[in-house]
Amino acid sequence: MATGMRHVEASEDHGIDLAPMLDFVLNLLIFFIITTSFVKQAGVVVERPEAVTGVQNERGNLQIGIRENGEIWMDRKQIPIGQLRGAIERLHIERPDDTVVIIGDKMAPAGVVAQVMDEVKKGGIKDMALAAAPPAG
Amino acid sequence: MRLKRHTVHEAESSHGIDLAPMLDFVLNLLIFFIIIAVFSKEAGLIVNRPTGGTPPQNAEQSLAVQILANGEVWVEGRAVDPRAVRANVERQYAVNPKLGVMVLADKAAPNGLLVQVVDEIHLGGVYNITFATAE
Repeated sequence: MATGMRHVEASEDHGIDLAPMLDFVLNLLIFFIITTSFVKQAGVVVERPEAVTGVQNERGNLQIGIRENGEIWMDRKQIPIGQLRGAIERLHIERPDDTVVIIGDKMAPAGVVAQVMDEVKKGGIKDMALAAAPPAG
Repeated sequence: MRLKRHTVHEAESSHGIDLAPMLDFVLNLLIFFIIIAVFSKEAGLIVNRPTGGTPPQNAEQSLAVQILANGEVWVEGRAVDPRAVRANVERQYAVNPKLGVMVLADKAAPNGLLVQVVDEIHLGGVYNITFATAE
């Protein structure tokens, strides 16, 4: 009887440890915040043109790359110009506050840049910018 | 008997506050902010794109800057250096503060030159830029 009493008393001190659960919930929260603010990267390496007056676009989270030969890349896949509108519409429905940054190579033809801008507009995203790197010097 | 119980109790109370969960939390915050900082780095120039076919409404107030396929830049019928676009725009902007600039680029003109010209126009003080292409 006396030993039983002692056992109950000792476990009463502990209580349920909430810390691991809190950690877990916080991790879940951070995971979801990160996945919603994730940037869809173009997936190509392009040589960015330089510009002094470029502004940081905080919400520019859909990147479309245009290579010097006119290939269009989005979300790590090459996309023909005809399918670009559909792809953008799909992404726009998923996340309606997306903005687009068009990352054109220095030697990419301006005609393709204009076409991409048209397709983005038709896909429902009005907010877009032409990417530029700050000058090296 | 009584003595034994006392020592067990003492050992438990000497733990103090467990710092590990707080450290986990702070580390998570740190990682979160690092990731956010890495992913939001893309500077851009904002350019208007007219919907195809319709001419701009303020055509009489706009200055046309043409970019040819061979890299020449023409302003008001004169071929100018890309770096001289800023001076031309500044002069026009001083005359007419409501000036809008229309950039007419050849389809084959390089994007780098386009961005350079847009940058020059921004430096000249005009942010109302419309971008169109021509054959």
